[in-house]
Amino acid sequence: MGIIEIKNVTKEFRVLNRREGLKGSIKDLFSRNYKTVRAVDNVSMTIEQGEIVGYLGPNGAGKSTTIKMMTGVLEPTSGEILTNGIIPYENRARNAQEIGVVFGQRSQLWWALPLVESFKILKDIYQISDENYDGMIKLYSSLVDIEPLLHKPVRQMSLGQRTLSDILAAFLHDPKIVFLDEPTIGLDVSMKSKIRTLIQALNREKNTTVILTTHDMGDVDALCRRIVIIDKGKMLYDNDIEHLKSFFGSYRTLKIRTGGELKEQAESIKKELPDFPVTADDEWISVLVDEEKSKVIDVLGQLQKSHKIKDMQLEEISTEEVIKKIYEEGVA
Amino acid sequence: MKLKKYLTLTKAGIMESLQFRLGTFVMAVGNLLYLIVVYYLWKAIYASAGSDTVNGMTFSDTLIYLVLATALFNFMEMYTVWEMGRSIQSGKIVLELLKPMKYRNYLFWTYSGQFVTNFFFTFLPTFIVVAIVTHGAVHMGLNLLFFIISVIMAISLNYSINFLVGTICVYTESIWGINIMKQVIVLLLSGATIPLAFFPEPFRTITHYLPFQSIYNAPLSILLNAHPEPEELMVTLGTQLLWCIGMAVLSKLFWKVSLRQITVNGG
Repeated sequence: MGIIEIKNVTKEFRVLNRREGLKGSIKDLFSRNYKTVRAVDNVSMTIEQGEIVGYLGPNGAGKSTTIKMMTGVLEPTSGEILTNGIIPYENRARNAQEIGVVFGQRSQLWWALPLVESFKILKDIYQISDENYDGMIKLYSSLVDIEPLLHKPVRQMSLGQRTLSDILAAFLHDPKIVFLDEPTIGLDVSMKSKIRTLIQALNREKNTTVILTTHDMGDVDALCRRIVIIDKGKMLYDNDIEHLKSFFGSYRTLKIRTGGELKEQAESIKKELPDFPVTADDEWISVLVDEEKSKVIDVLGQLQKSHKIKDMQLEEISTEEVIKKIYEEGVA
Repeated sequence: MKLKKYLTLTKAGIMESLQFRLGTFVMAVGNLLYLIVVYYLWKAIYASAGSDTVNGMTFSDTLIYLVLATALFNFMEMYTVWEMGRSIQSGKIVLELLKPMKYRNYLFWTYSGQFVTNFFFTFLPTFIVVAIVTHGAVHMGLNLLFFIISVIMAISLNYSINFLVGTICVYTESIWGINIMKQVIVLLLSGATIPLAFFPEPFRTITHYLPFQSIYNAPLSILLNAHPEPEELMVTLGTQLLWCIGMAVLSKLFWKVSLRQITVNGG
């Protein structure tokens, strides 16, 4: 049996149908005109102890709603959820003892106090023994440089430092499951990689199950072996990331800006690179490169011989594109 | 061991409120200004009444009552409705719901640090000044013990009422109006701004059947009555206890029902 078992879970919300304008707003005061929105539609999955699962989907897909049901904040409209063998929404406090959460831009830390005080408060709330607490702090110092953070009031931290601290706080009581809801949102590249390394290390050391929701395919690539994709409340994909990759190849988009007329340049590049799909918009010429067949750097080198490249960008394939492709072509 | 889980939140609250030294200072000054206004207002009322006692209370009786009521208000008042409303609106409540304890307890104990700082920074100084200036208007005897018991029940009752009103935010997702309405009703009907003796007869009878007078009027009347009839004392404390239990049960039930309604905003 998995650490998280979800069976045919559906969650519906009742929302008032709002009318437009001032007159509509006044009418709405007395309205009984509700519509039912199905945020999560018949989702099932089993997650094993120690897995890192990437939970993907566009905004409003139902990711956070699923997580709130797994943590026990929301009660499913129908279906069954078991985490650690208990029903989360009926045993919220007991379930909370076994899970940790980081919600992207919200902090659970005590804003006015230095980080170490937040840790001590959490130590008492979760009734962590001195031994385990010291062990955890020792582990943390071996993974990241926390000394300067510990004595800094949380409100004076940068977003990156705060997110890092929030992740450490979520793991502090050695929970069985940690939910990370868009942990790298708004962070710079070096902080992102720092956080990915940290999550990976903690997962390995403590065998903690990690459920990660994100828009950043980079997070998924670095951390997850398994991904679940959801859109409009429905599950689209639940399998290995390798499987998805073999389907998509490892595409990256090379975007360049050259001197001269953009359209002409694009045409000549198309002739030069007959094997690659080339598109052009107002600003960029995009070349889709399958990294299994040829390297981006080689393509760039080839282009540089014949064109004056002023600027370039490299883009990963985005969750949105993955979903679009799944819709169009389907994944077995 | 179990209590430590909660007391650590009290400690955090004390530490947090001490971080904002200027805030404490400004509050003390604001409090002083309020008391000056109260002094002149009631001086004018007594002057226009043309007699030394109004409704059985002399000017100094009234003033002592109101100064202590203000001190008690500053000590006991909780901004729970506000906190809950903001948490629900912003969606931050999700993190509070995920603490390994009941939300009702978490919120209370998070706030409890304020009681400690407010007690030492506002209530105690005011109490000492009143005791010295009035030369024994406040009797120092067994009534202090009953006063403490009464205040503890008042805090619990006040919290239940706040929590009950705060829960309404789950449905309305707006706080301002609800909070102001609660504030006005409690302040008026509890005897925190006007001694209940000044209310016209039918109105006063009504207040005695409402829970609010158990918050401020009850502890203050115990404190200021040096030699109460045992029977009277028991009635006051007993009424408080009943309201305490009743409101606690009611607010817990209402929360339990409302929690299923919660949608949790954002993200």
